[in-house]
Amino acid sequence: MSPPMLSLKQETPSGRPAKATAHLLPCRIHHDGSVEPAESFWDPNAGENDTTTAYFRGRKLHGKTVALPEGYRGVVAVTSSAEEQQSRRPEDHVDVIDVIDVDAQMPQGTLHVQAEFDALVVWGHEATADAAADPYVRGVEEWLQLAEQIHSYPASSSDGK
Amino acid sequence: MARTRATKGTAAAAADKSATAKSCSAYILPTASDNPSKLFILPKTATPQARIVTLQNPRYNKPTRYLVCPSAGIFEFTKIAAPKSDPRSWLIQPQPSTTAAATETEQPATTQTAQSPTLHLATPLDPLFLLLPALCPHPSDTAAQAQQKGRLFLSPDDHLDALPDPARHLAEILSTSPATRALLEARLAAVCDVVAAGDEKMYRAPVVGVRVARGAAGGGLVDGGVESQASATSVETAASAASAASTAATSVAHEDGVAACAMAASEEVVRLQRLRVAFDFICSSYVAPPVAVMLKANLAKATDLVDFKPLDEYLARLTKLRQDAAAVRTTDYSRKRAGDEDEDERAEKKRKKEAEEKVKKANQSRGVKSLAKVNTSGMKKMSDFFKKKA
Repeated sequence: MSPPMLSLKQETPSGRPAKATAHLLPCRIHHDGSVEPAESFWDPNAGENDTTTAYFRGRKLHGKTVALPEGYRGVVAVTSSAEEQQSRRPEDHVDVIDVIDVDAQMPQGTLHVQAEFDALVVWGHEATADAAADPYVRGVEEWLQLAEQIHSYPASSSDGK
Repeated sequence: MARTRATKGTAAAAADKSATAKSCSAYILPTASDNPSKLFILPKTATPQARIVTLQNPRYNKPTRYLVCPSAGIFEFTKIAAPKSDPRSWLIQPQPSTTAAATETEQPATTQTAQSPTLHLATPLDPLFLLLPALCPHPSDTAAQAQQKGRLFLSPDDHLDALPDPARHLAEILSTSPATRALLEARLAAVCDVVAAGDEKMYRAPVVGVRVARGAAGGGLVDGGVESQASATSVETAASAASAASTAATSVAHEDGVAACAMAASEEVVRLQRLRVAFDFICSSYVAPPVAVMLKANLAKATDLVDFKPLDEYLARLTKLRQDAAAVRTTDYSRKRAGDEDEDERAEKKRKKEAEEKVKKANQSRGVKSLAKVNTSGMKKMSDFFKKKA
């Protein structure tokens, strides 16, 4: 079965999700989820011109801050298919109504936005990430711009060539 | 890369130790969530009505996730993931916000990790690419069907119905969001001949029309994208490869005293090269291979739109110059030592052998070297000791 259709949902009723910073660590952490309390383990110090340093388990890490381009926001989100149960109800008469009742059967999941970020920090062990080679830096800085140029099309419907 | 562990052995020992230390640690790790957080980069223009849906990828013919927003358009997702050899993980740290902002959110955000280093980028996608499979004859179509596709005027519904819809998300989106339907119809109108039939517009997909739009997309990349770093790099690598070849060719040509025409690439040639690189990139990432072949053929035919002739001529001249230069170089060698190529070869072999021996000797230990000098003529052979006693 293909994954369900997802809608975006802000977690907080105020509409402004919590601000966060996304750190890309140069190691694999075999854990998903909360790691509180983290202050004593992770305390990056900002240096001059966009570089930060932090000590993680005795190792010196250098961070390079990559700001997201104008018009984009970073989102930390969790998928859930909570509404799947609701939509499953009309299953008893699925055989009778086959295609017409698409709406009722369509499982709708949600993407719960937990936090927002507008910069990510790419960390390297005793060296800063190479901007020309790092896939994350290049993806954010180059691909977003390039994609916009490839896929730009006249906004008005009438003046198509 | 700095070494992170002294040896494998200590690594194992450390793991052991940490396992025992965990039980008496002051901190208790919260249980891992079985639904890990994912990181996305989304356009700010996307409204809450935006949906993430599964549509057929026009290039790979596989169900792929797209972000469809009634007002902002359609976005494709690009996954960025570090290779296995380069372990990465996310650490998401809430920003030390002002107290006012902190009270606003009812539950304070926690620092969390995500093991998977994937980052999902949502980038704009021209809906035309999604429509292409319906407009272009499919390889599995019969000839009659293919002809029909190009000749008949069809309603937008018929065109949209012709699109593969693996998860039925497209149908769902079209029925709930009139804005998305309008967007797709507008892109359809941009490439098709339109005929008004009653109160409904009918669309026909002429192959040339599709091609014009492709050219336009490529042109947009060239006109607007030259200053863009990314396209500049991708295009320049191709262009600079050409120019590097040209400088090499000219230098060799000069050496031989041949009056070489200056092979500096003209602006027109560079522009055409850019256009071609852009077009090839689009074809290789958004268009199914058979359709791409068709588009390329059409583009080559339509010389009134864009004429690649100067570029082709330039490249042909370049290869010719290169070949000439190579030929001159080989004749150069033969002039120096006429007729003793065999000897050359033998000398080369000898040199290689000697070099190999030298390396072997350098690797020998002092003990082995001194043992080799021992006079063994009066001694029994080693193998004698292992023979069966007679």
